[in-house]
Amino acid sequence: MRLQMSDEDAAFQQRMRDFFTTEIPAELRERWAAGGELEPDDMRAAQRLLNAAGLAVPHWPVEWGGQDWTQLQRHLYLQEIQAASVPPPLAFNANMVGPVIATFGSQEQKERFLPATANLDIWWCQGFSEPNAGSDLASLRTSAVLDGDEWVVNGQKTWTTLGQHADWIFALVRTEPDAPKKQMGISFLVFDVKSPGVSVRPIQLIDGGHEVNEVFFDNVRVPADQLIGERGKGWTIAKFLLGNERVGVAPVASIKRALATAKEHASATRSGAGTLLDEPLIAARFVELETQLSALELTVLRVAANSHGDKPEPASSILKLRGSQLQQDVLEFTADIAGPASLQWSQPDDTDLEAWTALATPTYLNFRKASIYGGSNEVQRSIIASGILGLKG
Amino acid sequence: MDFTFDDEQKALQDAVRELASRHAPAEAHGDVPVGPAQHDPKAWSAIAEMGLLALPFGEDVGGADASTVEVAIAATELGKARVVTAYADALTAAGLIAFGGSDEQRAKLLPDLLDGSSLIVPAFAEPGRAWSLDAYDVTASAADGDVTLTGTKEPVPFADVADKLVVTARVGERTGLFLVEGATVSGMRVRFDDTPAVALGSIDDAARAIQAGVNLGILAVAAEALGAMDAALPMTVEYLKTRKQFGVPLAAFQTLTQRAADMYVSLELARSTVLHAGMALAADPYDATVASRAKVVVGQSGRHVGQEAIQLHGGIGMTAEYAVGHFTARITAIEHTFGDTRWHLAALARDVAGHPQVDVLA
Repeated sequence: MRLQMSDEDAAFQQRMRDFFTTEIPAELRERWAAGGELEPDDMRAAQRLLNAAGLAVPHWPVEWGGQDWTQLQRHLYLQEIQAASVPPPLAFNANMVGPVIATFGSQEQKERFLPATANLDIWWCQGFSEPNAGSDLASLRTSAVLDGDEWVVNGQKTWTTLGQHADWIFALVRTEPDAPKKQMGISFLVFDVKSPGVSVRPIQLIDGGHEVNEVFFDNVRVPADQLIGERGKGWTIAKFLLGNERVGVAPVASIKRALATAKEHASATRSGAGTLLDEPLIAARFVELETQLSALELTVLRVAANSHGDKPEPASSILKLRGSQLQQDVLEFTADIAGPASLQWSQPDDTDLEAWTALATPTYLNFRKASIYGGSNEVQRSIIASGILGLKG
Repeated sequence: MDFTFDDEQKALQDAVRELASRHAPAEAHGDVPVGPAQHDPKAWSAIAEMGLLALPFGEDVGGADASTVEVAIAATELGKARVVTAYADALTAAGLIAFGGSDEQRAKLLPDLLDGSSLIVPAFAEPGRAWSLDAYDVTASAADGDVTLTGTKEPVPFADVADKLVVTARVGERTGLFLVEGATVSGMRVRFDDTPAVALGSIDDAARAIQAGVNLGILAVAAEALGAMDAALPMTVEYLKTRKQFGVPLAAFQTLTQRAADMYVSLELARSTVLHAGMALAADPYDATVASRAKVVVGQSGRHVGQEAIQLHGGIGMTAEYAVGHFTARITAIEHTFGDTRWHLAALARDVAGHPQVDVLA
């Protein structure tokens, strides 16, 4: 047991902090911190700066641009990138399809896709969920039928995040419709979304934003060499990908920054003769959230210290669940602090209101997604109940 | 930061676990005692003999020169086995003496306290008053160089078996610490009526000493509560697996298993926080913020796990013969010891504007 970081880790942290705060343009980081929309070109610019420094995909195998870091160093990297408000590497590339291709792909597929994926030369989107396959993902019905040396894909995907900007899609498709179990006969296919027969339709969300899409496939022809891993073993890949999605999904430093920002807003919001931060219930809620967040952060650190290789510390299973709850709690509190000023959702040219107040409610509503995506919190609880506690119905 | 136990810490954990299993309450039937634990002299001398009281103190006063991390490890095991003793109380008193006493008082009092040959407990609570580190109704007065105390402290756990008390008492506008023998003790009530007392160290140091002593007590009870949760959850899980209703095990009902998963979340958050508090108080025993955060996390987790452990058991969880409710009772007592969740949130809130955010990585 040791409270202090080692000198090497402290130096590592400082190196990360220096890079993120000096090499990534402040203007970009400020826009990201303010919660404003970033253009795809902004995302590409940020990821390419990171990739040039070897910091876009540090968790990948070393030969494909990874860094051989400890779990704690990985945590420090994530903490500093979030604390500096650097737009993070696109999750679909860095955390999802990249590790899949690096683990299951052929040498040819690795060479073809991994460098372009790390550098965001290919913008990937995810084709997993379908209208009737959400939490029950294995019920998916999108089909792929082999015709010569091409797969012919038909069906529909949904909740495809940022699909409107994507170049390629990685999709779970059913290649063996007669397999005895629904988890069998699924394959992992990648293809260009500009292929004939692919159409993307936006879904507008409750915050007014366009973040997710429906994607339709009508006789889309995909070269057979774009199937990743073994035919019919896509469920294994899906579980691998979803497992990666859950690890490190407690964005502690981002939540912490959001809470610190909320505190600045509360101290600048007048209430009676003082400010909102002087109100006992507001002050108590701040320290309660800070305390709960520090308990989560300490758990992240404990998990990082105790996880070795592919044997994660069991407590890692709580990070996504608790992280999403606290993220939502902080954004809810921020909207409450905005109070009457939150009634306006866009910033008119002519206003005396602070710009952040217009974003407070849409952001709060938008992040109700955090407990739904990446395996809903109910799914997370089922994983804890069956995987950790051994409670199998 | 590193949360892994070294070999010595693992050995301590094993040793305390073994000790605790020998002194755990027996499988009970019929008329089972409920409520506050009675002093168990056998368990107490076993704890003292193993040196658990000496853990966080230096060798110069009879200590073991280990740290508060080891206190957390030991108290967790005691809590897990439901061995309820004056451990946290005696540690607090030892802390008050170690951080507040004169060199002479430390040398005279601590060796006997730490090896178990003398039991000293703290007296904070005053009847009709909410928790406070300050004394209001017990007052100290000095005449001709002799100090006496007047007033009532209640409840003072283990006062009836203690050899001495460390008492907080009002001195003008301040609170001082006093050593007392010969107060009128009746159960947990302690009355002073011009009772002779000895000032512990200088009153100028009392506030800091009180903070450090209470921090030690908070760590010990927080770890004990962690142990209680760590036992209550597996009991609950086992019950869900074995108890059948409607022809199936309770584990077939997601409404129950989802709640068990939430209990696990609360338990693990408490574990991280208690272990960190052990490390942080070893580095700075006066850190009130760390202690308050630990008390809040354990308070909220404890309420959740304790209540759900009973509910998920159903009727059997209500019975005195079954252990799970006793864990919840103990967790509740701990919530009301050394300041509850609200008290500590209020304490933290007084500095809300003093820090932009909380950084746990040093």
